[in-house]
Amino acid sequence: MGRGQRFGIALSAFVAFAVGVTTALSLLLGDNPALFGNQPGAEQLAELIAAPADALLRLATIVVALSIVIGIANLLYVHAGKLARGKFYSAVLLASFGFTVFWQVTRPGDTSLLEAAQLPIESALAALVALSLLHGGSRVLGKRADIWGLLFVAVVVVVLLASAPLAELAPLQAWRDWLMRVPVGAGARAILLGVALGAVVAGTRALLGQDRSVRG
Amino acid sequence: MSEEFNWLEYSEEMEAAALEEEGRSGRRGLRRLLPRLPSLRRPALPRMPGIPRPRLPKLRLPSLRRRGGARESHQPSAADILGEQLNRPLEDLDDRLRALRERSVEASQPAPSHQALYAVDDLLAGPALQDRPGGVISAVSLSKAQQQQVEMLRDVVGGAPEAANAGGRSPRFFSGFALSAAPRLLGSAVLLLAVSLPFVSSDYAEGDLPPAEFHEDRHEPTTFYNLLDNLTGDDYVLVAFEYGPAAAGELDILADLLLRHILAQRAKPIIVSSNPIAIVHAQNVIRAINRSLDLAGEQLLHGEDYFLLRYLPGGALGLRELSENFDDVARISAKGLPTGLQFDTLDEMTEIVLIAASADDIRHWVEQVASAAEGRRLLVATSYAAQPLAQAYADSLDQVIGPIVGIRDAYTYGQKLETNFGALLPAEASPQEPEFEQLDADASSDSQAEGRRGPELPAEDAIATALPQPTETAPPTATYFATDRPQPTDTPAPRATDSPTATATATEAPVRVVVVTSGQRVNIRRGPTTVDDILGLGYEGDMFEVIGANGDGSWYEILLPGGVEGWIAEFLVDERLVSAAELAGAQASASAADTQRGERAVLQREYMLRLGKPAPRFYQAQAPASGDRLEVALNRDRAQEIPRLEAMTLGTLAAALAIIFGNVIYAARALLSLRGTRGD
Repeated sequence: MGRGQRFGIALSAFVAFAVGVTTALSLLLGDNPALFGNQPGAEQLAELIAAPADALLRLATIVVALSIVIGIANLLYVHAGKLARGKFYSAVLLASFGFTVFWQVTRPGDTSLLEAAQLPIESALAALVALSLLHGGSRVLGKRADIWGLLFVAVVVVVLLASAPLAELAPLQAWRDWLMRVPVGAGARAILLGVALGAVVAGTRALLGQDRSVRG
Repeated sequence: MSEEFNWLEYSEEMEAAALEEEGRSGRRGLRRLLPRLPSLRRPALPRMPGIPRPRLPKLRLPSLRRRGGARESHQPSAADILGEQLNRPLEDLDDRLRALRERSVEASQPAPSHQALYAVDDLLAGPALQDRPGGVISAVSLSKAQQQQVEMLRDVVGGAPEAANAGGRSPRFFSGFALSAAPRLLGSAVLLLAVSLPFVSSDYAEGDLPPAEFHEDRHEPTTFYNLLDNLTGDDYVLVAFEYGPAAAGELDILADLLLRHILAQRAKPIIVSSNPIAIVHAQNVIRAINRSLDLAGEQLLHGEDYFLLRYLPGGALGLRELSENFDDVARISAKGLPTGLQFDTLDEMTEIVLIAASADDIRHWVEQVASAAEGRRLLVATSYAAQPLAQAYADSLDQVIGPIVGIRDAYTYGQKLETNFGALLPAEASPQEPEFEQLDADASSDSQAEGRRGPELPAEDAIATALPQPTETAPPTATYFATDRPQPTDTPAPRATDSPTATATATEAPVRVVVVTSGQRVNIRRGPTTVDDILGLGYEGDMFEVIGANGDGSWYEILLPGGVEGWIAEFLVDERLVSAAELAGAQASASAADTQRGERAVLQREYMLRLGKPAPRFYQAQAPASGDRLEVALNRDRAQEIPRLEAMTLGTLAAALAIIFGNVIYAARALLSLRGTRGD
């Protein structure tokens, strides 16, 4: 590894660390005059501290937006190359893209393509997922004939039947309510805790330079 | 097998042999231990006839890329680095990796030859190293239990033939049945039939329709409704459309209803999303509302009645920008044009309504937006899939109201909307308003009374007489609400005219009060800290009786109208001594002001509900009026609503039966195979 490359790695790590720490401190301390005792000038100080996070946030949003444009351009470039190699689906994709652009240019504000094409297609895909889940649910014991499989099937059946608004199945609704309130609620909270802890760990590792990009 | 790489049998002799082989063949890393595989390069496909090969312009790479390319010659490749890692001798491994390897060796000991019911130990066993050729991937292999789980998941999505997964059990009895695609086709056909029949005929309807009111145990959806019902023409509501076309079937009805409710109150929805397709879809929902208004000759106009803001790129990042720089975000419409909106912060929104299909969207909104707009509530409407997470937030945070979930809650919400707004229709108004009718008699002419029943605007003078305080500033259609809602005398707030004793005691002793001096809305909390629940709200000039203070005098304990005790920060108020009559008069004025701004009453009612006390009805009497937008609330196309609900019921039952039926067969099969094994 050459000296220049090492310098580049160190520089990128330093930039990432500096930006991360600045943003974190700016978000934590900024816009909160109470932290400075509500003294005269505290508000201006709080605004001053909040300014870097504000600027970096705007910059990041612009970068994300620009990356979408670059992504679209790259998609077109890649599929143009595939089209040159005779890939039929690339031709469909490029034709659809061109048609959509043409449609919007000639009929500004007309969103009927969304209603006529994208909405039915995505709804149909969602319906296929439902069918797949049904099929999988009916085969659970075929793949896993143990206590966990039985438990899974029992819970699925109770929740489904209790969701049907039938007076005959009303006794199941208490079970369903308990299932949703206790185990499912606990699971949801556990996920939230896990996500929060994961975010803290990932953020800390990035700030400390433990996690770096491929080049960094 | 001899040519396959086995981590457990890997030794230094093998490495030496491999290095020698590498020298001969030029193969490096683990690949030198593998047999040579045939090339995976596919033959070139024939070009499509009629499509000439396009000549793409030769792009000049940016200088940065070229520099990177030049550096590559000096750098080891990723495969080299991985190879070096994989070829490390055991001594080079640190203790953690060595312990992991030892555990893996233990876990990979052969399991019992056959088990009809899998042992729990299998599930808990750590990852074992398997004999498998390959490079990097083979270093992380799956345990037997994990492989079974993977196979099950693969099978769930319609994968492998049953016989291949029999795992030693005899497939003789059901082999013909299982090997075919019949179960899948049969299940799909039954489900499709179940969800289609209600659209063909109502004879196949099963089950009850959802109730017209939310269940009394679920007070949060009712609070949700009341909060929107208390909006006025001065209010702006941020509406987050966070669902795409895939969830449109589940959430469109709910989104349509919430927008109609907001618009019917003459409040202005500001629609925003971090999903670009959702912005376009929201536009279509508004168009559908406009189509329903065509008959009434009214149209909702962008920039006046509603606003579509620009797309927020970056997911959570975009939402953070929304909460930090709302002034900028609100200035640009979805078409890139100026909206004319001028806000400083999100706190200027009266409510924030979130319509989200996924749990992640709810999490992002709570974390990035609700946390930054602490003074605003987040009203959540969501799908069945995201309900558990939304419920967890609603149970934990007072700021999060809801959730309203899916089609069934949408039906109840629509029923409430139709009942409440339908009662305002002129033909139905007269039987429900005896008291106001009587009060109107002195102040309005017969023609005005008739006019109130007709489509014309109501008699404003009559309303002014009927209400305890002058309502000249109230919207002119207030009568529509006043006639069907509880009488103002339900208001528990003390009034000078209602309580003669107040005047009598006025001269006896002064009352210690605090008067809100802050120009902004202030919070009244359950305890003397900012983390305590918000019980109510105070506006500039509001007066509350003081009943105590905390130790350092930074918070006053006050008595809210209705007898609820709360705490307010000292720096937001001035302490005074006033007469009881003055206090009663000030509180009566505040109560009348709530006619235009009913959120205070709703908060108080919400608090009462949480305490299990009977809810006061005054919040309804104070609800603002919006009679001339009845068409928005009532002109809905409900043709598909009931068949959808019935289809959902039948589909749910069919799915449950299919799952029971399928699993009974498989369980019987497992038992038969168990018997067969024991017999052997």
